[in-house]
Amino acid sequence: MSQSVPVVAGVGMTRFASDRPDCNARDLLGEAVLALLVDTGMSHLHAVQHGLCSYESDHFNKQMTLAAILHDHIGLLPTPTVRVEGGGATGALALRTAWAHIQSGLCESILVYGCETNGRGVSSQTANQLFALSADFDWEMMIGGTYTGFYAAMMRAHMHKYGTTPEQFAHVAVRNRRNAQYNPLAQKPMDLTIADVLNSRPVAEPYRLLDCSLLSDGAAVVLLSTEAWAREHCPRFTQRPVVHYAATGCGTDTMRLGDRYPDITNFRAKQTAAQQAYAMVGITTPLEEIDVAELYDSYSGVEIQAVEDLGFVPYGEGGRAIASGLFDLDGQLPVNTSGGLLGRGAPVGATGIAQAIEIAQQLWGEADLRRQVKAARRGLTDTHAGIATISVVNIFERRD
Amino acid sequence: MVMVTSKKDVQTLSAVEGDIWAEFRQIERLNLSLTQTYVHTLGKYSRFFIELEHQRLLATRCATCERVYAPPRPLCPHCVQPTAWIELPGTGTVETFSVLHFSPGSNADVAALPTPYVFAYSLLDGASTLFPHLLRCAPEQVAIGLRVRVQFATEAVEHPIHLIYFVPME
Ligand SMILES: [Zn+2]
Repeated sequence: MSQSVPVVAGVGMTRFASDRPDCNARDLLGEAVLALLVDTGMSHLHAVQHGLCSYESDHFNKQMTLAAILHDHIGLLPTPTVRVEGGGATGALALRTAWAHIQSGLCESILVYGCETNGRGVSSQTANQLFALSADFDWEMMIGGTYTGFYAAMMRAHMHKYGTTPEQFAHVAVRNRRNAQYNPLAQKPMDLTIADVLNSRPVAEPYRLLDCSLLSDGAAVVLLSTEAWAREHCPRFTQRPVVHYAATGCGTDTMRLGDRYPDITNFRAKQTAAQQAYAMVGITTPLEEIDVAELYDSYSGVEIQAVEDLGFVPYGEGGRAIASGLFDLDGQLPVNTSGGLLGRGAPVGATGIAQAIEIAQQLWGEADLRRQVKAARRGLTDTHAGIATISVVNIFERRD
Repeated sequence: MVMVTSKKDVQTLSAVEGDIWAEFRQIERLNLSLTQTYVHTLGKYSRFFIELEHQRLLATRCATCERVYAPPRPLCPHCVQPTAWIELPGTGTVETFSVLHFSPGSNADVAALPTPYVFAYSLLDGASTLFPHLLRCAPEQVAIGLRVRVQFATEAVEHPIHLIYFVPME
């Protein structure tokens, strides 16, 4: 299998923003593709053999079959394309699908293009309603359930079982927005204190405003290919270390939290996804064997649950480990160096792709020096839909 | 000049040095409204909602694995077998919850809720899964382990899931 392991041939993304009145979805993608051309040294995409479109919401974008429009907009006609959708995991699931396209030999190169207009095109009430459509309609959405509420109920159970505290998850809200200060493409860099987070207004208790991630406009693209294809078509490829997209895992769980009883504190699907990906590359002690990770911090406490489900620390230890600085920039395993969903932003279809871009740049050694992890050789992305109803873990490795 | 009735605004974004998009800095935005109306079937879940009108709270039970689903599932996912309806006593225990300070206003019933409101998951007596529900009580009254019981609505509702809510047991 290792002969056709995909390499990251190049990347491109827009800055993520709360509002881009000058761009619809295709405009955003155009900007990300121009960044990809600079990154790869290519002058067009004529040699790319396949497309893979990543966007979540027909509602936010007010457009169905957007894949066809986007594919045309960036000059990929008449090559094949397909759209992948998996809620919040869309971008990571798109990459995973592209991984299989290369591994199977169906194509030697594939552009994964993601974009979303989740910003200020609708009111926050409409945005909450549109996101709540991905809850179970008659049983959760119709009684006023929101994703913030579902996540909050999970965190309440985690606090009850393990003694996790709001101060511990506020650490995530502070650190990720601080990391975003070192990322020029981040939406919301902020210099905050734990007290700022604890004093922000409650949204869905125990989560407060500063525990919540952002609604964003943005686009991100990753060009995957065989190593031979990248050497032939991407002039800059040989100027940086080779980064393999080495492993991928995917797990699923019930849509409704209540159907997982009694397992309501954590994300079982994330554990499933991680175990699959770890087995592919022989990881048995992830905290020691992974150098940098982008975790799906849709809410601050979700990162606490994630470090447990990914096996970085034992169940119940996530809060204390995070508060101790274990996952800070100067910690043993820096996470969300990009700023994460809390600081960099989260245009849904582009989110998982932007996570992969951060990991590739860390492994290339091309991140801003203030957030560059020293000698990073293996990185992980963790992305999920719903309350980890679909969960995807992707692993990238530097090979030199 | 002919009027564009949906026009929200036109703005010219400030020029940035070396901007390759200098030709495209004038931006027009419209106020757009899309409205969809659906005939929404409650499908094989219908009897749950119909019986709420008669003040009966139902669940489904799988005869093979004996799991009791509340909310009901017509198909047991463990056994991939059709289930059967049973009635629950309507009492239970809060397993987790959130106090919501922001209402999405998903329908007329939700829009009418005063904020903050309590969204809870309870293990109903006789059930195997947690039931998501509104809990009418002061936010400081709710805690994991609180015993609750079903109440049936006395006013008209838009969505039949609002025919019930829960309150703390005295
Ligand atoms: Zn069964």
